[in-house]
Amino acid sequence: MASATASGSGSKGNFNMVLFYVFLIGFVLVSLFPLLWVFKMSIVTRSDLFQSPVTTLVAPPIADSYNTIFANPDFRRALLNSTIIAGITTIICLFFGAIAAYAIARLRFRLKSVVMTTILAISFFPAVAIIAPLFLLFSKVGLINTYWSVIITDVVFALPLTIWILVSFFKELPKDLEEAARVDGATTIQAFRKVIVPLAAPGVFTTAILTFIFAWNEFLFAATFLFDASTQPVTVAIPNFATVYTVDYGAQAAASVVVTIPLVILVLIFQRRIVSGLTAGAVKG
Amino acid sequence: MAQTTGTMAATPVNRGMNRRDFLKVSGAGLAGVALLGVAGCGGGGGGSEGGSGEFIFSFGPDTSGSLQEVVKRFNKENKGKYTAKYREMPADTGQYFDKVRTQFQAGGGDIDLIGGDVIWPAQFAANGWILDLSDKFTEEDRADFLPGPVESNTYEDKVYGVPWFTDAGMLYYRKDLLDKNGIKEAPKTWDELKDAAKQVTEAEGTKYGFVFQGSQYEGGVVNGLEYINSYGGQVLDENDASKVVIDSPESSEGLSIAASMIEEGVSPQAVTNFTETESQTTFLNGDAVFCRNWPYMYALAADPDESKIKQEQIGVAPLPAGSAESVSGLGGWNFYINAASDPETQDAAYEFVKFCTSPEIQKFRALNGSFLPTLKSLYEDKEILDAVPVIALAGDALANTQPRPVSPAYSDMSLKMAEQFNAAFKGDVSPDEAVKTLQGELQDIADQAS
Amino acid sequence: MTTAPREKKRGGWLKEEFGNPERRTAYYMVLPALLIIMIVAVYPVLNSIWLSLHAATITATGEFVGFENYVEMFGNDDFISGLKNTVIFTVVSVFFEFIIGLGIALAINRAFRGRGLVRAAVLVPWAFPTVISAAMWRLMFQDQIGVINYVANGIGLISEPILSDATLLLIGSILVDVWKTTPFMALLLLAGLQTIPGEVYEAARVDGANVLQRFFLITMPLLKSTILVAVLFRTMDSYRVFDLFWVMSNRQLESLSTFVYQGVRISQLQFAQGNAAAVFIFVTAFLLALFFIYGLGMQTSTED
Repeated sequence: MASATASGSGSKGNFNMVLFYVFLIGFVLVSLFPLLWVFKMSIVTRSDLFQSPVTTLVAPPIADSYNTIFANPDFRRALLNSTIIAGITTIICLFFGAIAAYAIARLRFRLKSVVMTTILAISFFPAVAIIAPLFLLFSKVGLINTYWSVIITDVVFALPLTIWILVSFFKELPKDLEEAARVDGATTIQAFRKVIVPLAAPGVFTTAILTFIFAWNEFLFAATFLFDASTQPVTVAIPNFATVYTVDYGAQAAASVVVTIPLVILVLIFQRRIVSGLTAGAVKG
Repeated sequence: MAQTTGTMAATPVNRGMNRRDFLKVSGAGLAGVALLGVAGCGGGGGGSEGGSGEFIFSFGPDTSGSLQEVVKRFNKENKGKYTAKYREMPADTGQYFDKVRTQFQAGGGDIDLIGGDVIWPAQFAANGWILDLSDKFTEEDRADFLPGPVESNTYEDKVYGVPWFTDAGMLYYRKDLLDKNGIKEAPKTWDELKDAAKQVTEAEGTKYGFVFQGSQYEGGVVNGLEYINSYGGQVLDENDASKVVIDSPESSEGLSIAASMIEEGVSPQAVTNFTETESQTTFLNGDAVFCRNWPYMYALAADPDESKIKQEQIGVAPLPAGSAESVSGLGGWNFYINAASDPETQDAAYEFVKFCTSPEIQKFRALNGSFLPTLKSLYEDKEILDAVPVIALAGDALANTQPRPVSPAYSDMSLKMAEQFNAAFKGDVSPDEAVKTLQGELQDIADQAS
Repeated sequence: MTTAPREKKRGGWLKEEFGNPERRTAYYMVLPALLIIMIVAVYPVLNSIWLSLHAATITATGEFVGFENYVEMFGNDDFISGLKNTVIFTVVSVFFEFIIGLGIALAINRAFRGRGLVRAAVLVPWAFPTVISAAMWRLMFQDQIGVINYVANGIGLISEPILSDATLLLIGSILVDVWKTTPFMALLLLAGLQTIPGEVYEAARVDGANVLQRFFLITMPLLKSTILVAVLFRTMDSYRVFDLFWVMSNRQLESLSTFVYQGVRISQLQFAQGNAAAVFIFVTAFLLALFFIYGLGMQTSTED
């Protein structure tokens, strides 16, 4: 709908533009408000943090919380661990997911519904219930306390989403391009690589980002399967800025800010890809 | 669990299929085979390496750094004989419990020595997961320890743990404000506390009279039980642990006094979602006259980043009494040994237990981290009492501690108590209804557990 | 679930399927993904189903009791309140996430200055780890220092602390979930919108279709499969809500998954019921998905 207003002309168009930006700013503020609030929590002393009633920033900001978290080698290590786990999960997911999704969207075979439903079914099971048996399984094959224990479970739980999203994208792509490629003598695999993948770039990148964030934020498996700081990701490290009695909310807030920023940068870099647009791709390609 | 072996055999078959089929798809498929290959080839499996005198010891994060120091010292003194490896567990006790339990469920895991909460042993012991230490930790040894923590380790007349450091609920009060209003000493009963709180808040404009931990969680159970016990109410029959006796006028009276705190405005409504953190920050920000909390809070008052009031402004006393004696909920941590570890490793682990609970090391931890010792003698140690005043102050509270009910189904009981206590604090149910409901629910649990 | 394609060994159609090179390729292409899922997930799931039919404890499978655990489960107040909360939570939060997400996707599906920043900003809530954001929101809802509690109290919206009231807690959880996952919805729908060629709109415009007509006649039908996927996955996720409830309400608010968690991870006695509840979630979610796929015409296999 909104796409219509952009091309409106004259004063009505300008007015619409203003409205549009007001809406946009309001919306961005709502999205960001909690993050800003958390940021505020990260730069005040602990007793100011619990100042009642609520105040906006009163005292000059302090970096204590940031010093705390960066002085902690486990936290720095956790940032690396998170990157590795989420990165590998994303790559594996996209690789297997894209292949499977292409077959489902484009090729003909009978058991399609069964395959789709089976893949989907796993995302129906509550993760909390399968942790103990999985722990046993991973212990037996020596995967416990390795990146792979978490990567494999993350892949399993992210794959259904990856496949289903990609299927829905692949389906929307015009078939004629691909058929043209085949007429030119390309094999199924070539058609997939040369035609479908570039065209589906927005979908693929979107899926990649969603998968990456999913793995980046996963807590339950990581907390169960990983034992020490050498493998634990940030979601496990952050709640440990605490003692049995109290929580160091300042440090946790600072850590959350630090953990969220790389993702924002990642999205900023890739956002063009997310929306490169089918039309542009088709014309150029 | 026994029914696990079947599927393992299936794995290699699937993997074989996958490899063959997959290679036909494309060369890049190799990556996937490599991944699945790793899944099969890891080998070995968990479990501690036996015989080397090396063992894994688990505990939550230690911000004081004294635990790391103790481990280092132990390893140095026992070089070539024993090696302790400290594995840091989640700070959240519930999560720590969950993690240990998962490992036990999966056949023992590789942790040999557990630094665990006082409420864990019955459940672990009932499942045969932790070692009976009755022979190692003899009656003679036990006599040197505080009775409360030892009792918390005793399940069906056997001792399953060694008390490491302890904890007891205490009453913190604003000495300065009480003095100013002519109140000479800390209130001895809950009613006195109410009166004093009302008087001071009115005169001084302090925001709240009294804060405690009323949220629906384990800490709320401790607080609720303190009220109940201080009126003479009990959860389980002293002579027969399978009999629930919570439905009594005494228990009901205990919950009534708690609910009346909120009803009469002595405590804020929000106290029903307070945990230690909220109580602590409210009190240390100068917003409450009285606060029920653990000993750790005293040291925080010395840090201006944590506290807007000074240590001199604070007094510490045993919790008020009801119609019976004052009772403090028992907290703290014990050592438990994994029953699945091999005997040699268990012995090594026990050496570490002896080391950590020795007077020297307990003293070291008391001086460096304010951990409350479990040895009686240390409460007369001049050096400790001078350097860590809260330990002197906690002495009285420690004399009246009462462990939470010792039952293999304590977690189930705790969930029910947390729910009913919280509802009673809020005024959603009457104290009478709460104890009646609990009587039925807890008896059910006790029956199922036995 | 276990009816993997390879199980059916004989039958003429199978020969036909694998005789055809294109079809064979198709099977090879879906197989790796299928295998990864099966290897890891099938055993734990079957294990839960098995345990739910026995008088199981943490340490032993116990004797076979049929559906007794399920009967007991339905008589358990905690389970019922968990079910109620979960259903309300799922329906309300997914509804709002969809409406708001679609609005956002439509609004930012065009060229304007600063769209890169907006798109990045949109993702912030989704990028914020749930375990942490739930704890942070709890602080914001908190009575003494919570900014939301403060404002809501100030304008007379609430009369008691949010965290002490079950209904307010549920509303709060919905709010947090909408805040957190609307970006997910918006981004998916945006990517879906991107696949609709601009010429289609041009053609419609030339034909004189107005904004609403274009929306309902072009956007919606072409976006249908993306919408169904997004809504389906959000529904599945909300239906299994765990960490948000667990952390934000400090264990006060029951959901189906928290019931499972208490049963299989904390309790000594409700292990079997916990497994039964896990299977209940699985089966009901499965039915829900079938409804999406067949009832709403979500396409899985079309070109046959």
